[in-house]
Amino acid sequence: MKISKSLIGLIVVSTIFLIYASGFYTNLQSNSALEIVDFSTEESLENKSIPSNPNRIPLYGDLHVHTKYSFDAYIFGVTATPYDAYKYAIGEGIKHPLGYEMKIKEPLDFYAVTDHGFYMGMIENYADTSSKMSKNEWTKPMHNLNRPENVTVESTGERANLFSSVLTQAIIKPYPWWHPKYLGAWLTNNIQLALQSFDYDVHKSAWADVANAAEEFNEPGKFTTFIGYEFTASTQVEGGNLHRNVIFNSSKAPIRPWTRIDSLNPEDLWTWMDALRDKGVDSLAMPHNSNGSNGQMFEVETFRGNAIDKEYAEKRMRNEPVVEMTQVKGTSDTHPLLSPDDEWADFEIMDKRVGSRPPTYSMPQGGYVRDAYLRGLTLEWKNQGNPYKFGLIGSSDTHTGAGAFDEDNYWSKTGVLDGTDMGRGSVPLTQDRIDQLSQYAIDYDQPISIKEIDGRTYANVGFDQWGASGLAVAWAEENTRESIFQAFKRKETFATTGTRMAVRFFAGYNMDSIDLTSEDMIKNAYAKGVTMGADLFGENNQTPQFLVWAQRDKLAAPLQRIQIIKGWVEDASGTPKEMIYDVACSDGLSVDPETNRCPDNGARVNINDCSISNDVGAGELKTIWTDPDFDPTIKAFYYVRVLENPTCRWSTWDAVKAGVSPRPDLHKTIQERAWSSPIWYIPESSNLDIIPL
Amino acid sequence: MSLRIIIFFLIGLLIFILDIGFNAEQDSKDIYISDQELTSLLSAWESQVGRPPSGDEIVNIINNFVQEEILYREALLLGLDQEDQIIKRRLAQKITFLKQETIPEEPSEEELKEFFEVNKNAYYVPATYSFSHHYFSKESNAKGRAAKAMESFLNQGTELVGDPFFLGKNFYQNSAIEIKKNFGEAFFLALETLTINEWSGPHESAFGEHIILLKEVSDGFYPPLEKVLLRVEQDYLAQAQDKAVADYINEISSEYRVIINPDFKF
Repeated sequence: MKISKSLIGLIVVSTIFLIYASGFYTNLQSNSALEIVDFSTEESLENKSIPSNPNRIPLYGDLHVHTKYSFDAYIFGVTATPYDAYKYAIGEGIKHPLGYEMKIKEPLDFYAVTDHGFYMGMIENYADTSSKMSKNEWTKPMHNLNRPENVTVESTGERANLFSSVLTQAIIKPYPWWHPKYLGAWLTNNIQLALQSFDYDVHKSAWADVANAAEEFNEPGKFTTFIGYEFTASTQVEGGNLHRNVIFNSSKAPIRPWTRIDSLNPEDLWTWMDALRDKGVDSLAMPHNSNGSNGQMFEVETFRGNAIDKEYAEKRMRNEPVVEMTQVKGTSDTHPLLSPDDEWADFEIMDKRVGSRPPTYSMPQGGYVRDAYLRGLTLEWKNQGNPYKFGLIGSSDTHTGAGAFDEDNYWSKTGVLDGTDMGRGSVPLTQDRIDQLSQYAIDYDQPISIKEIDGRTYANVGFDQWGASGLAVAWAEENTRESIFQAFKRKETFATTGTRMAVRFFAGYNMDSIDLTSEDMIKNAYAKGVTMGADLFGENNQTPQFLVWAQRDKLAAPLQRIQIIKGWVEDASGTPKEMIYDVACSDGLSVDPETNRCPDNGARVNINDCSISNDVGAGELKTIWTDPDFDPTIKAFYYVRVLENPTCRWSTWDAVKAGVSPRPDLHKTIQERAWSSPIWYIPESSNLDIIPL
Repeated sequence: MSLRIIIFFLIGLLIFILDIGFNAEQDSKDIYISDQELTSLLSAWESQVGRPPSGDEIVNIINNFVQEEILYREALLLGLDQEDQIIKRRLAQKITFLKQETIPEEPSEEELKEFFEVNKNAYYVPATYSFSHHYFSKESNAKGRAAKAMESFLNQGTELVGDPFFLGKNFYQNSAIEIKKNFGEAFFLALETLTINEWSGPHESAFGEHIILLKEVSDGFYPPLEKVLLRVEQDYLAQAQDKAVADYINEISSEYRVIINPDFKF
């Protein structure tokens, strides 16, 4: 009797509690991250026929753009909206936080605003003193942060401090466990709701604004946008960067982004994307800044430290067909320590963990795409599947809404912090700035952020390792969401460092029958072979031929050479190997068969005014190439790297414009370049599974 | 002193006297908390914490409110609201919102029509060009080969054959911006002058020489209002809001005189 009474009591209490809780959250079901919203707007212009090219055209874009809705961008003084960002992409000038105009040389074909998913829109809300959130004591340091008179170089110290210490302490404030919001968060699988620093309505409306801007600017046939955001996760202890951008293929998108508050584990992100796909919303995740991941972006084990298996590999490749391998925060092709025989490996290396305080070295192994391809082959060799069979793109990761793609028109990315030459460390500091930076170190108990080089004092803030990069290029039939999205899924893409060069890459067994001077060359190449991003299967031990074709950017330097980078795993020893072949040289030069290198074409840069040799280099280069070391029984990948003649790096341009000599410890010139997605050679199956002992 | 200011001064004086007469007790240090204020304080607390406040908590809430009010009033007495950038900006912002909201929600058809006529250029659909071309690469004697190909095409009717071009042979309804982006400025200037359905060339681009067949030009046009109604409506409202604020500032700014030190060195 007693037991049943207390049981009834328990049931009554818990029922009341549940009613209370569900009454509190009127819309219990709708809080799921799987709820889909159609953001499409009425098309007011009639549908025009869209030009389509069966041989595909290269479309240039940027899939990594932050605006004021990103927590860090707002701290950096950015007030540009997603609408401003799209205006910039179609060629209108917009304002940098420091007041000058940012304008792109030529409009882009596609663009996606990808604000940080977690706390999207919240910091602006803290800063707005009329908001509910701003009543909280801890929002005070952010109140009216971006009032016009405070968006100045002098506010750098305050902003750096907010970013590196105040913010992280302020925003992670869960309600106590007994709080109804805590229960609500648990019931709706939305942990954000358990945070005192989080206003779900503000968050949803920021996300809707991002989506609406994309919808408003999407113009099929002319300009494509994607609804997207950044999943900003990192490993817990080492702070290894696991950031990914997510874009959706249609006007339909979830009601809120799935973020690092939901889970730090990218595998959970893929589970969510798989579930959305089942509901008819397709999406892609694109990892970036693997260089700052401390080797964890392309690990040989799962997030939880288990062995990778085929299921993992398939799930990863289903959701992450392309990787952003070059952007402002460095390029992740390879590292000099990983590729000691690659003379071009020391290119825009950023060797710190992303966002680490104090700046901490990032281990190169597992952080660069060439190494990842080799790891993928090794895993496959061990029968674990290949989770690293991805294509390549670049993007900017700008936080000002406007990507800085050109060395001579550069504003880096973190608004007020690196919007001036002195701020990014390319030009010596004035005494005023030295005093400010020293005072900042004292006021906020930070490491001293100036350094002496050859008797001159520079800001020592890490921005000197950043650069004017990069672009994502898709080979698509037409400039529409569907067509570009499919190109990403096929991996028929290439990455550039901001230059608009173009590269074609095909492989097949009858390619040498193609006339390189025929206007039907590409039609024939598609008919007779496979293109970048695809597999080439072995046929009767034949040796394949590769067709490569590159065209210069008409506004940039001419081309110097085309290279093919090959990687494979040695059969007997299991050792990963790589080899770089120059395959086409400018100025009628030919490759030395001993060294596999083109001779010097004599292109030079005048460091005093950044002028370049005008009479050397090529407008286009094309060739059919055969691998001299081909072994038909060994799995291998091949990707193209195209190099321009050298030009001034942005830091040299800054110095020239300021009338000072360039900083001696930085590279003075760079070779802008493009990388194609690889073609994988898969031998005929021998019906023999290799069982490693 | 203008008459207007004298009138203002007199009205101000009158209000001041009336104020002293009716609200003498305001000068005393009373803090009156209305029922509504109490209710909103308590419900704000409840919505943040999720339960009604206890007795002690109510005391705290009221104490906090009172403290804030005292500090606020003392700050006003000390004139701390003067010359404070944040307060200035907030007040300016508030009045801006107020003025923005004074415009009517739905513009009439007439107003939209007029707006559309005035801002027609913003809705202009630019001209497009459809054309084919044969390309001769700079890498192998573009000028010579192109001229020869054109010559034998015109004289002997030989088929025109060029090199492969990255973007292909045929272009359909491209705008000036697209053509300039793909071929460079000079190419577009040449294309513009061509006769329809007549092979012409060689013409130079950033990449080499081209023999071009212009197939179709669709002239730019102003779309009818119905086709762009949604955009026009949005633009109208945005402009009306800006105008409401600007008008207000214009109207009132004549009352103000701006004095800047003429010797200031900028």
